[in-house]
Amino acid sequence: MTESNQEINAHEKTPVDLGGVETTSGGPRFSPLVDIWENDQGLTVIADMPGVAADGLNIDLRDNVLTILGKVVEDKTERKIISREYEIGDYFRQFSLSEQIDQEKITAAVKDGVLTLTLPKLAPAQPRKITVVSE
Amino acid sequence: MAILRWRGPGGSPFVELERMRNYMENAYSALASGVNQLRRNYTGVFPLINLAEDDEKLYLTAELPGIDSETLELSVKNDTLTIKGSKRAEPSVGEVNYHRREREPGSFRRSLTIPTKIDSEAVEANFKNGILTVTMPKAAEARARQITIKSL
Repeated sequence: MTESNQEINAHEKTPVDLGGVETTSGGPRFSPLVDIWENDQGLTVIADMPGVAADGLNIDLRDNVLTILGKVVEDKTERKIISREYEIGDYFRQFSLSEQIDQEKITAAVKDGVLTLTLPKLAPAQPRKITVVSE
Repeated sequence: MAILRWRGPGGSPFVELERMRNYMENAYSALASGVNQLRRNYTGVFPLINLAEDDEKLYLTAELPGIDSETLELSVKNDTLTIKGSKRAEPSVGEVNYHRREREPGSFRRSLTIPTKIDSEAVEANFKNGILTVTMPKAAEARARQITIKSL
């Protein structure tokens, strides 16, 4: 765990391109920023989804497509907006996985607006060394 | 090949490049206006902040996913509010191969001018689901007062 002194840059959220498909609620959807890493045991996906609580998360894996949907907690307060630098909307992102994942053992946790998803591989794949034969 | 002296507006090609960049940005935001209903004041400083108000209070919200709440520091001096904090890199166990690395660790510090006089003693802050909300009660003189009109 390294402490970084680097300054964080501000990023505007990237709206999800649904290819003309609209959401019924009409609200914008954004693509969350993710870290994904892999080792022999499985894949770990970490996604920044500020405003999403555990009950607003919907994670789905079928036909090797992982879908992450996070619904933000609705703001029901009657406040007048003075200035707005960031947009509020749900989060949506899909990944196609090349590995066989053990569906039963997927775990998901959310803390401080960050989703941590662990996707264990079905059988611990042994890295296979491929020998190149020169003719 | 003939080399010609630049005679564009502003005298420098960099000014012209800057103008073109602004033009493109404006064109882009006009296109994206389907999503961006409200005109935004983009400052480019982390964290991005939204400000709202009602009759009694000002509300500042900032998205700080994965920020350690222990590192969060908030201070008010005169009409300036400063937010400081840092985000650690997620600890990976053992040797891993990265597929994506979009999330950014690091520290941040941002100051902003509060548009209304507030009661700095009564400022409250809470951090939930990665969103920081700072509630600032308006000073008595800044609150809207209902004025009764007497008919003579």
